[in-house]
Amino acid sequence: MSGPRRCGAVVGTALAAALLVGCAAPGGDRASGAGTSAAVTSEPDCGSGPVVLRARFETGFPLAKALTDEFTRQHPDVTWEVREEQYAVLTQNAPRLLADDPPDLVRLPQVSDLAADGLLRDLDGYAAWFGWDDWPAAHLRQLRVGPGGRPRGTGPLYAMGFSTSVTGVFYNKDLAARIGFREPSTLAEWDDALARAKGAGITPLAGFNSGAAAGLAFPLQSLMAAHGSPSAIDAWTFQQPGARIDTPANTEAVRHLRRWLDAGYFDADLNATDYARMLDRFTSGRALFMVDGDWESATLDRLMPGRVGFFLVPPVRAGEPRAAMTGPPTFGIPAGAAHPDCAAYFLNWAVTDRAARELTVRVGGALPLGPPDAHVPPVEPGSVTATTLTAAALVAANGTGMDFMANATRAILSESWTPRLQELAAGEGEPDDLLRKVQADYADQVDR
Amino acid sequence: MRWRRVGWLFVLPALAVYAVFVLRPLALTAQYSLYRWDGVGPSTWVGLANYREVLTDPDLYGAIGHALVLVVFFTGLPVPLGLLAAAVIRRTATRPVRAVLLLPQAVPLVAAGIAWSLLLSSTGAVNRLLDVVGLGGAARAWFGDSSTALAAVGVVGAWVLLGLCTTLLLVGAERIDPALYEAARLDGAGPWAEFRAVTLPGVRRELWVCVAVTAIAALASFDIVYVTTRGGPGDATSVPGFEVFSLAFAQREVGLASALAVVLVVPALAAVAPALRWSR
Amino acid sequence: MTTGRWERAAGRVVLLVLVFVTLVPFADLFVTALHPPGTYPPGLTWPRDPHWSNFATAFRSAEVAEVLASSGLIALGVVPLTLALAAPAGYALGHLRFTGHRAVFGLFAVGLVLPLEAVVTPLYHQMRDLGLLDTRSGLVVALVAVHLPFAVFWLRAHFAGVPPELTDSARLDGAGPWQVFRLVHLPLARPATSSLAVLLLVWTWNHFLLAIVLVDDPVRRTAAGALGAFQGRWGTDVPLLCAGALSLITPLLAVLALLYRRHR
Repeated sequence: MSGPRRCGAVVGTALAAALLVGCAAPGGDRASGAGTSAAVTSEPDCGSGPVVLRARFETGFPLAKALTDEFTRQHPDVTWEVREEQYAVLTQNAPRLLADDPPDLVRLPQVSDLAADGLLRDLDGYAAWFGWDDWPAAHLRQLRVGPGGRPRGTGPLYAMGFSTSVTGVFYNKDLAARIGFREPSTLAEWDDALARAKGAGITPLAGFNSGAAAGLAFPLQSLMAAHGSPSAIDAWTFQQPGARIDTPANTEAVRHLRRWLDAGYFDADLNATDYARMLDRFTSGRALFMVDGDWESATLDRLMPGRVGFFLVPPVRAGEPRAAMTGPPTFGIPAGAAHPDCAAYFLNWAVTDRAARELTVRVGGALPLGPPDAHVPPVEPGSVTATTLTAAALVAANGTGMDFMANATRAILSESWTPRLQELAAGEGEPDDLLRKVQADYADQVDR
Repeated sequence: MRWRRVGWLFVLPALAVYAVFVLRPLALTAQYSLYRWDGVGPSTWVGLANYREVLTDPDLYGAIGHALVLVVFFTGLPVPLGLLAAAVIRRTATRPVRAVLLLPQAVPLVAAGIAWSLLLSSTGAVNRLLDVVGLGGAARAWFGDSSTALAAVGVVGAWVLLGLCTTLLLVGAERIDPALYEAARLDGAGPWAEFRAVTLPGVRRELWVCVAVTAIAALASFDIVYVTTRGGPGDATSVPGFEVFSLAFAQREVGLASALAVVLVVPALAAVAPALRWSR
Repeated sequence: MTTGRWERAAGRVVLLVLVFVTLVPFADLFVTALHPPGTYPPGLTWPRDPHWSNFATAFRSAEVAEVLASSGLIALGVVPLTLALAAPAGYALGHLRFTGHRAVFGLFAVGLVLPLEAVVTPLYHQMRDLGLLDTRSGLVVALVAVHLPFAVFWLRAHFAGVPPELTDSARLDGAGPWQVFRLVHLPLARPATSSLAVLLLVWTWNHFLLAIVLVDDPVRRTAAGALGAFQGRWGTDVPLLCAGALSLITPLLAVLALLYRRHR
């Protein structure tokens, strides 16, 4: 009768052996930041043989792909393996993509945690070599990350962009004419126009708020900057010590947005509308206004030539400077990239090459980054691209640009802004609680 | 007793693969749940702190609540409806009809989610139908409305699983000896009495298999939420499967994700294991 | 038969409703796929000018041919491997009833009710350490392992129903355990193994979670995993998404229809 017992013991031991997970704690030592701050001492380039660069871009933004095509045309030895994904998917996959299967160039969400984890290459060496340091400092400020990931805005450069961008309000000129709309000089005037549009049976605002994209963050942050100050929002976004989002001015902005929602300025299916559908509603003439960025200027000029206007979100009191979300769409080179020099060479080419800069304006509709004296391609006068380029220059001159507050921490977009703003759109929860909850999540995340 | 021992040689290969790729990860999940770890760097022992967070953070225990609600949809709808369908169509369904009813289970949940998000969108077929029958006031973007989104996810699951339950129960019903039905009819039993006395006992085994399979599908639901709502609006459709995925891979809170996974195993074992036992 | 007339009518109605509810989502996918790309067509409307080219576009951008080949390769690995491992195990557990079989079956039963989320994170790290991340073989091994409990459960039930006399007579002829299994029991288990093979094929083809976690490149995933990636990229273009979804799901439906016909 010792059979069963002995067999039981055998099973036990065998399984214990198979399952033996060791009592060691999971994980290894922290990768030592990839230690890539080393100075670049020779021209970073793509070498002489054929190179395949792997890149991960954002769906719906054809500029990056167009630039890679042009680059290959000029440098036939360099070909690209490009994959495109929606922003929310990219955001979700970025950490493990960079850790386990790093491409050469990635469109990134927020870079501070990725930089702190040593997953991104420090680009200071390249910046020094190529002279990016000589550009207006504000352009690349958001891409600098302090030691340990915070605060952002100072420290080594961890990403680059092709263009600056600027947000504001696009409007449909045909619908605007129907309500006798003139570009507002104060927030109250804009409110008035929204009310008149609603009264005339026009959907005042095209918006999006589905998925994990927190679409209402665009209008909300615009209102926050109007009621408060862009630099206070940036302090929070950059994780400066002591910065809070639940200030009285910002809370006033939430209440303002809530009034818009209650008044029915957005379509009722806002929480089921994604970015592309918002764009479709605006371009098909089913909404008067759309709070969005100049990355759509070229598309709007193509789809509705001459029929779109743009203004920066007006201030509370007439004559005050107008704020906007600005900042380059972020592209980083992973610490584990196979061809970092070639990727850096491409980034520099994209902002200095004449053809590349023309593409940025024509395809991206945005102002190319680069040295102050660089060639600025001509644009069609009267086009919305021309208007947004002027607005971008104005915001830069006033110093009223700010980063997107959804970039504050790795998880803040999907875990806080998205659900809280969807609740706001659904008429749930108190406006005053919204920012308190976001602040609590933020504090929790920054603590870690 | 060579024959008694040799059985071990027959199970060992399967057991080894299973132990290395399922049991070992399961044990590791339990271990990870006691640490704070980002999946890359060093980890810190935190004891039961992750469990405390799972049980006190409304986002996380809410997700488990949502999974339990989904059980109502995934199990509560398809099983009785499948039973009804199997009982009624036992004799009437032709082969092509049966093939059609089999279709949904051969479709990935992702595709079912895509199809239903069309049907349930603000301009979708469901709202147009409501309009036609004069219920246009109830029309809405079903996945975008926090009061209906979870139910919408539930409907997609019910659609996929209804076919499965009908098919399984039909197989069971067809194994029943027709003489039993004849006897019931001779005793003057109506359709209801006949169903209770003959069909129900006859498909008992399949019934519990359906309950077990659908309940696991509900507790482990991930695919539908991934393609339709991503947990929104608000946190209305956050489910443990999606939370574990986003905690572990996007937010890199591996310890917290593991604790949530362990907590999820408890209702799964508690609810499903008895159903499986009864199916024997 | 004494089936009442109204009962038959009720049966027809239930059937009709079921068939309708089953088919409507497919119909909606299909008609939506024919609308101009980039539009947001209202539900279940036939387009004025059907864009059949959407299927060609989706076929190219979803790399449907490559994905189907990949799903096929994965299924070619998962189905035979699972059967090869589960058949002897099910035989031993259901028929040989060796000492300790209850404990072993209990272990497999855990896997039967285990939500996959409970193993996915460590499985990812384990695959990474084994260098199997982003490979089809890694995905195959993982899928075999997670399907084993059901396969063992299924085949054990079959082998438990085989009368022991069969084995006894073969043993009298001097056959060893392996010969008895190979020559007597395995051929008799054909119906059980072939229906299991079909189930495994469907589950592998449609498997999502492990496919998106373990394999980053959609062309090396299962069809469902690739569809997830396609939605991640083209989810904003509804007609194209529908065309892509249909191209990825119909091949399996066709295969199943063929099997179903041959089965009769």
